Amino acid sequence: MNYILTDEDMKILFSRIKEEYDTYGTVEKEGDIVYEKVDGFESITFGRSRYAPKEFLIERNENVLNLPVQQKKAVFGVMSCDLKGFYVMDKQILGKDPFYTQRRQNTLFVNFPCNVECEGGFCSSFGGPLLDEFQIQVARDGDDFIVSASKEYEHLFDGFRKTGDEQIRKLRKNFLKNAKQLPVEGIENRIKWDSKLWKKYSSVCISCGACNYSCPTCYCFDLFDQDDGRIREWDSCILSGFTSTSAGNVRKELDERLRQRFYHKFVYYRKSQGEYLCTGCNRCTEDCPVDIDIKEVVTHDYSSE
Amino acid sequence: MNSYLPEYFKEFELIWESRDTYTIHLPKENPGKAGQFYMLSSPGIGEAPISVASGHLREMLFTIRSVGTVTSKLPDARVIGVRGPYGTSWPWERYGKILAVAGGIGIPPINSLFDEMVGTGRGKDLEIIYGARSPSDLIYHKQRKEWAKMANVIITVDKGDPNWKGNVGFVTQFISKSETDRDGAVFIIGPPLMMKNSVAESLEAGFRPENIYLSLERRMECGIGVCGHCNVGEFYACEDGPIFQYSAVKHLPELFL
Ligand SMILES: Cc1cc2nc3c(=O)[nH]c(=O)nc-3n(C[C@H](O)[C@H](O)[C@H](O)COP(=O)(O)OP(=O)(O)OC[C@H]3O[C@@H](n4cnc5c(N)ncnc54)[C@H](O)[C@@H]3O)c2cc1C
Ligand code: SF4
Ligand code: SF4
Ligand code: FES
Repeated sequence: MNYILTDEDMKILFSRIKEEYDTYGTVEKEGDIVYEKVDGFESITFGRSRYAPKEFLIERNENVLNLPVQQKKAVFGVMSCDLKGFYVMDKQILGKDPFYTQRRQNTLFVNFPCNVECEGGFCSSFGGPLLDEFQIQVARDGDDFIVSASKEYEHLFDGFRKTGDEQIRKLRKNFLKNAKQLPVEGIENRIKWDSKLWKKYSSVCISCGACNYSCPTCYCFDLFDQDDGRIREWDSCILSGFTSTSAGNVRKELDERLRQRFYHKFVYYRKSQGEYLCTGCNRCTEDCPVDIDIKEVVTHDYSSE
Repeated sequence: MNSYLPEYFKEFELIWESRDTYTIHLPKENPGKAGQFYMLSSPGIGEAPISVASGHLREMLFTIRSVGTVTSKLPDARVIGVRGPYGTSWPWERYGKILAVAGGIGIPPINSLFDEMVGTGRGKDLEIIYGARSPSDLIYHKQRKEWAKMANVIITVDKGDPNWKGNVGFVTQFISKSETDRDGAVFIIGPPLMMKNSVAESLEAGFRPENIYLSLERRMECGIGVCGHCNVGEFYACEDGPIFQYSAVKHLPELFL
């Protein structure tokens, strides 16, 4: 159901949510937008966080032998590209990893779809930024907030003005007018195993792993014992130890590992889960120190190779 | 429930099989099936995926070669943790006759297979080709005698020694001479090159691609399909494998390292 809320209504909605959840939101800090605990709707800054909010579900580093009781958290200000990351990862992880699953079930993400596509971003290529799946979505149309809620959150909207789909449709249309929709569909069939792109990338990549760490859909982790704990830590498929075993290493070379990252996103996940493991947030491209641009993997003319 | 938490054992038996290979016997019934694996661990040492070496509902056995951080320290551990079973198993119940081809430390899940087939009176439907680098690397002396009572067993070494009177040569050389009828299944487990060549030999010998099964080794951290380490193309070896039907994965360029 969709509702039209004023700024005052948003404050009321926030306080209703605050009764049930610990509230977090995007705030500006030393020039960056970060997630912090917030007490009121007015403290929230509209804008994309420096880092994807995947840490709310997958911590950088934690002891898997100790599953804590999860607090109920509400997180305001999530960009749609980052939110979509959760729905995409759910397909592989939800119900299997107890940490991710319990946090997912106890976290309410309130996403703020953008009105114009950000520079570099290509979320519209993956159905963004007004998504089909969300918990509570807060779109802005002039001074109005067009808030959509999935069923289980309807009770928070008592007394607010209901509305239809027209404004959402208008916002989507306006967004798409100036959006760079990439020809993603079918990339799993066009991409080439022996493409010269992989060696081109490996000749400059410094194996820093930033592309994985910044990505809202990269879920891989490592497990190792330290002191009394068994630590799960974010891992990167770009690093050479990722697949080394006593029997050898399937991806000894950097170009093979870079190819793996793109194949996982555009081929393997599509085959196994029916979706691309990318939401078009462009974070990997922005954070890459040597300017490797994932959009090229989509737009490259493989047929001429 | 925290699926990462192992069940801990303070009481267990350690049996040395060769200079670098040992068996851990845990006083617990194995709910898993031949071909499946468990994550074995010890606090402070870490975890490793290890195939179960005994059959379904027998006491748990794991036979491990010491190769690195975890596997070299487990023999000295005071506590062994285990979680699982995980992954797919050998689909022996679907076939009349089965040829198992194992190289090196690939043999434990074949012992498990033997346990299960003998347990249902089908030991005679199994043929085993087992190869190791040298005579001193061959393990399971007692078990091999048990297999030979029921199954046709071929033992071979890559390189003999002055006392060795048995076969010399790679396991692949014996596949074409297999007594197993060609509508049967071939189960292959061992080092990547050995598996690759064994598949080629099995096809050459007349076995069908859909009846060939491989146990694939990949780096595994979680065992439950969430850490992303063990992928073989669009599959995860820990949940879609480790036992794969060859015809379902033969298109994957990273199949054999
Ligand atoms: C499904 C499955 C079943 C298995 N069953 C058995 C079994 O029944 N018995 C058995 O003995 N083994 C089995 N294995 C193999 C076993 O899991 C590995 O030998 C074990 O995980 C090795 O762990 P480790 O910590 O001892 O070695 P590690 O320290 O991980 O080292 C293993 C090898 O990888 C190399 N290596 C490790 N980390 C790196 C890095 N960062 N960079 C470069 N190289 C590195 C090491 O040099 C060494 O050669 C199985 C594997 C799988 C996937
Ligand atoms: S654009 Fe890059 S960082 Fe963003 S979802 Fe896609 S792969 Fe991940
Ligand atoms: S961010 Fe760029 S340089 Fe760093 S690992 Fe990824 S591709 Fe390589
Ligand atoms: S071992 Fe973690 S995904 Fe397979």
